[in-house]
Amino acid sequence: MNEFSQIFETVNFGLIILNTELKVTHWNHWMARQSGIDAKQITGAPLFDFFPEINTPRFLRNLNSVLSFGNFSFFSQKLHRFLFPFKPAGSFKSTIFEYMQQSCTMGPIRDDDNQITGVFLIVQDVTELASYEQKLMEMNIKDGLTGVYNRRFFQTRLNEEFQRHKRYGSKLSLIMFDIDFFKKVNDCHGHQCGDAVLQAVASKIASSIRQTDFLVRYGGEEFCCLLPQTGLADALLLAERFRKIIEAQVTTYQQNDVKVTISLGVSAPTIGDSAESLLKRTDEALYQAKNSGRNRVVSMLTGHIEQTGLDNIT
Amino acid sequence: MDTSTHISEEEKDILQEIMNIAFGKAAADLAEVINIFVVLSVPDIKIIKAVDLPNYIRTEFCEFSNISIVEQNFWGGFKGNALLVFQADAGKELIALLGDSGELTHESEFSDILENETLIEVGNILIGACVGKVAELLQDVVTYSPPRIIFEDHSSVSMPKTLFDPSNSAIILKTVFSFNERNVNGFLFLITSDNSVVWLKKALADFMEKYE
Repeated sequence: MNEFSQIFETVNFGLIILNTELKVTHWNHWMARQSGIDAKQITGAPLFDFFPEINTPRFLRNLNSVLSFGNFSFFSQKLHRFLFPFKPAGSFKSTIFEYMQQSCTMGPIRDDDNQITGVFLIVQDVTELASYEQKLMEMNIKDGLTGVYNRRFFQTRLNEEFQRHKRYGSKLSLIMFDIDFFKKVNDCHGHQCGDAVLQAVASKIASSIRQTDFLVRYGGEEFCCLLPQTGLADALLLAERFRKIIEAQVTTYQQNDVKVTISLGVSAPTIGDSAESLLKRTDEALYQAKNSGRNRVVSMLTGHIEQTGLDNIT
Repeated sequence: MDTSTHISEEEKDILQEIMNIAFGKAAADLAEVINIFVVLSVPDIKIIKAVDLPNYIRTEFCEFSNISIVEQNFWGGFKGNALLVFQADAGKELIALLGDSGELTHESEFSDILENETLIEVGNILIGACVGKVAELLQDVVTYSPPRIIFEDHSSVSMPKTLFDPSNSAIILKTVFSFNERNVNGFLFLITSDNSVVWLKKALADFMEKYE
């Protein structure tokens, strides 16, 4: 083995050489290990015979630009996730990714006359990096305690959904709710118990909304639920359901059974609204719900107030 | 042949001619090979000091509020930086152009990434085609660094300082490109150093020899 072959076989990333007919001429040990396909098996065979999933318009576009222009092509993990469907290696076997995340580079191979005789492909495993990035991204948009979205994310999302509502006339509504007498929970049972209650409320509500809805921890014990494609009437029904679910729920923390209720404000955009004025009016509705006895739903549409849950005054 | 870094009017004309041929070929190949129909205007050649380039770009694009620049180094005998300047909203149009929108996620965080990555991919192909064809005509082979987006906000120009080494000349090859059926256009700049100019002058002379 010459020195370059030794490097070819021992480097910690995949190296492949294809001829212009896309048949494999070189397949290094890393590729054999990750794919379970020996160099002997695949050498001489068209790459797409073994990996038909790679035969996409995007891949061909890049491949052709390498073969015709001598370009280099870069398949970033951000856009492509991976080219070769390999299982994640090592400690990343059980992580968020079903497949090894890859960053790939493709470039031309030339003969002594500078004619392009094939392409090389470099396959780098970037699963570890991608998983850190994903974690960072999650921390950026989620609340650490409850796991629901954070306020920063909510602002962006609310603006986007509001723009969509204005542009396309799609329905939109907003629920804001707040745990009643939450300070008492903290005072009587301690802050850790308070945290457990926050988590229980958040997870209960999160499991009763659609995937397209956004539950957000807005402040200490205040939450928001952004409901795209939902009108006020449906939002009211949903808010009432939230109220009943939480009323019925018991959180047990160190042998203490803690029961809480929530007050809810509901609103939907009307003519002349902005994202801010919608948020403000929903907050006012919540304030009304608090002021008129808690554990109830108040909706506000252009100042008109409706209430439900009056039979449950605490 | 003088070995100075001054490019004569005649050399400029030759370069202009080479660019015309190269870009014509690039456009034809892009259509045939990759199914991307791109119109490349006749390139306009200017030679300025590299230090003046940021100002030049700012003036050229003052009517755009935001621009995206894909930057890529290339090196062979002909070496330098290629800058591909797009209007900021070009990414969205290009995603549609490439017709891979099936992979699209609509979450705000990811669509930004997708737009940038698409600009990078298209930039890579365009720069490669144009620079590659010029190199080919000049009997040169070039390799490229991975492309990257160097800045997105017009108001905060932060191009790498090394680009603007006072000793560098910027040969500005400005070409306007537009994609058929899509309202996407932009500018391609190639910036070369003085080293490269010496090489370029020789290559231009060699190129002309074939016709003399």
